[in-house]
Amino acid sequence: MIRLSLTVIAALTACQGKGGPQLAGKLSGFELPEATARPSFSLRTLAGDPFDFQARTAGRLTLLFFGYTNCPDVCPATMANVSAVTGRLTSTERSQLDVVFVTTDPDRDTPERLGPWLQQFDREIIGLTGSAAELEAAQRAAGITVAFRDKGTDNYNVFHAAQVLVYSPDDSSHVVYPAGTRQAEWAADLPKLLARWGGQ
Amino acid sequence: MTWWCAATGQPWSWAWRAYPGVWLFLAGLALLYWRFGRTTGGPGARWFGAGLVILWLALDWPLGALGGYLASAHAGQFILIALAAPPLLLLGLRDRAGRSTGAVARSLRGMAGPVPAFLGYNVIMLGTHVPEVVDGLMVSQFGSFVIDLLWLAGGLMLWWPAVAPAPLRRLSPPLTMAYLFVQTIPAIFPAAFLVFADFPLYRLYELAPRVSDGYTPQYDHQVAGLLMKIVGDPVVWIGIAVVFFRWANAERRKDLATTQ
Repeated sequence: MIRLSLTVIAALTACQGKGGPQLAGKLSGFELPEATARPSFSLRTLAGDPFDFQARTAGRLTLLFFGYTNCPDVCPATMANVSAVTGRLTSTERSQLDVVFVTTDPDRDTPERLGPWLQQFDREIIGLTGSAAELEAAQRAAGITVAFRDKGTDNYNVFHAAQVLVYSPDDSSHVVYPAGTRQAEWAADLPKLLARWGGQ
Repeated sequence: MTWWCAATGQPWSWAWRAYPGVWLFLAGLALLYWRFGRTTGGPGARWFGAGLVILWLALDWPLGALGGYLASAHAGQFILIALAAPPLLLLGLRDRAGRSTGAVARSLRGMAGPVPAFLGYNVIMLGTHVPEVVDGLMVSQFGSFVIDLLWLAGGLMLWWPAVAPAPLRRLSPPLTMAYLFVQTIPAIFPAAFLVFADFPLYRLYELAPRVSDGYTPQYDHQVAGLLMKIVGDPVVWIGIAVVFFRWANAERRKDLATTQ
């Protein structure tokens, strides 16, 4: 998974044509060559309600991550690091932010499993699931590599894009955070992201 | 080939793994002791053996392997390698060291001074806790081996002034106790940084695959800092207590001898 994320980052930085990662000003993430629009896809919440991502998160700073609860490395580390920082935001800042986790392993990530797994990090994380086709459509809409299973038996791994997609209140993504972004980096960047690209 | 415990970035598993480098290292130490360090009679071999067992617990699976995933396990290794094992190893070597002569004796006596021991141990202790050093070295087996070796060398330096035999010793028992107490002070700095930092200090342990759900990198770092003081310091206090009681016994015997 780390290898996959590095591949994605390498592709992103290659698009910049400058031979290496370029920081978005003083941000720790990777600046996209062109801002991308907040994607449109519909999935279901863990309560079974429909969730139109574009409509429900419009105008808000949104961190979107695709992963799965059996992930042995990147997913728990990423969610732990993001949550450690969102837990320190002021209530005003936190109210302007959505953290959305979309499972890439709907067979095992039932609402009964995914809910408690997310709650151990942050009770306000929005967990989403759907059919395999819906999840694939969501990943394509977000412009990331579609996750796929390895050939294991019951204890299979899911190879998935490992970056955190950040949509600003202007309903665009200007910056992407690779797997391995540290808590201190999130803490420094989240208020800047809110301030930098306006919105509410 | 895996020969020494290090951070691999692989998901943690409780399945046993072999680290032949650890076994060879310990066997080499035992062989060197058998060939050059032991003396006939006395408990020296038992002390040395106990020190080797503690080293083995620190370096081999599971603690050694966990040291690549958890800062708290890394701190546990430090306590065992730098604080617990060295006095036992030195007790095993003390008789042989006491019989040394010439330049060897002069070097050993020089290292038994509090200033070189204080500087030597603390430069290593502080240096090997700098985030860039830990993050840089722990990701390779050789780097991890270097850290473990440095800790052992630092621990030997720390304890030598307290354990050195009479001909080489430079500190009286009260000064030895004071010296050991002072040695516990600088560890406050890395421990405090670990406990009170807003965010995890070590990139390696912040981003390592999780060993247990709920045991976050922040908790892990805080536990590591607390271990360094709450468990590490008492290990040195045991040394202080031993020096005190041996001193008290020696004084009592002296008093008895003068009154008879």
